[in-house]
Amino acid sequence: MDTPDTFNYMLLGYAVLFGLPFLYVLSWWFKRRNLEKDLELLNTLKDDQKS
Amino acid sequence: MLQSDRALRTLNVVTGLLLLAATGMVFLYAPLERTMGAVQRVFYFHVAAAWVGLAAFLVTFVVGLLYLRTGNPRWDRIGHASVEIGLVYTVMGAASGSIWARPAWNTWWTWDPRLITYTVMALIYVAYLMLRQGLEDPNRRARFAAIYGIVGFISVPITFFSIRIWRTIHPVVVGGSGDAAQGSFAMTSPMLQTMLFSVVTFTVVYICLLANRVRLEELSERVEHLKARLLSA
Repeated sequence: MDTPDTFNYMLLGYAVLFGLPFLYVLSWWFKRRNLEKDLELLNTLKDDQKS
Repeated sequence: MLQSDRALRTLNVVTGLLLLAATGMVFLYAPLERTMGAVQRVFYFHVAAAWVGLAAFLVTFVVGLLYLRTGNPRWDRIGHASVEIGLVYTVMGAASGSIWARPAWNTWWTWDPRLITYTVMALIYVAYLMLRQGLEDPNRRARFAAIYGIVGFISVPITFFSIRIWRTIHPVVVGGSGDAAQGSFAMTSPMLQTMLFSVVTFTVVYICLLANRVRLEELSERVEHLKARLLSA
């Protein structure tokens, strides 16, 4: 029996297996960036409030 | 979780290297399976993703018990992060399984006991995240989430044993498959080694993601705390 050509399915499988966690971690990067901006702003406001 | 930046960075590097090694083993070490061809290589990460997805929900179950016992918010953070990561792994397992099924079963999806229980389990944990979103009070949210994480865990052993309890076309990786199983294959030694190495690697990836996610959650809580303090001042 000949081995079937399922190379494209393999490519699609690995695109999903690497793509999903990549997008997930990328969303963290954006979230962290926004949180750091918020923290900086809040610290400035806190300092203003003190003075 | 990991407190020092250095330990977390080391874990990130080790995880990256392990992932690289596992990918190398899948494509360079494991032989080509003759009946299914190249798509069989999806199997190694598919099994690892599905397995670690279930393990992540087990962690949520355990930390849920710990939270109810101690009331320490740290356990809640870990439980929340574990569900989120577990769902990513579960979707990876389902999607890669579906892609493998197309040439192996001649369909992307079938109403098989494993696929149904797996989907129901995923939906139960999606509801966990929705429940958290709906509760404002942090203590109440943590308590409800812990209880939900414990009760929801019942879906995990049902999913795991579904291919052993019911007649299914999904192959059993550990132990013999049933008569109805389609797409199963005899694993050679390099295949087995690659699968085991992938499972270990994905477990380390999970630990790494969990540590980073908990760190992000701590930052988010710091921001929320500071916001509340400024508003009350």
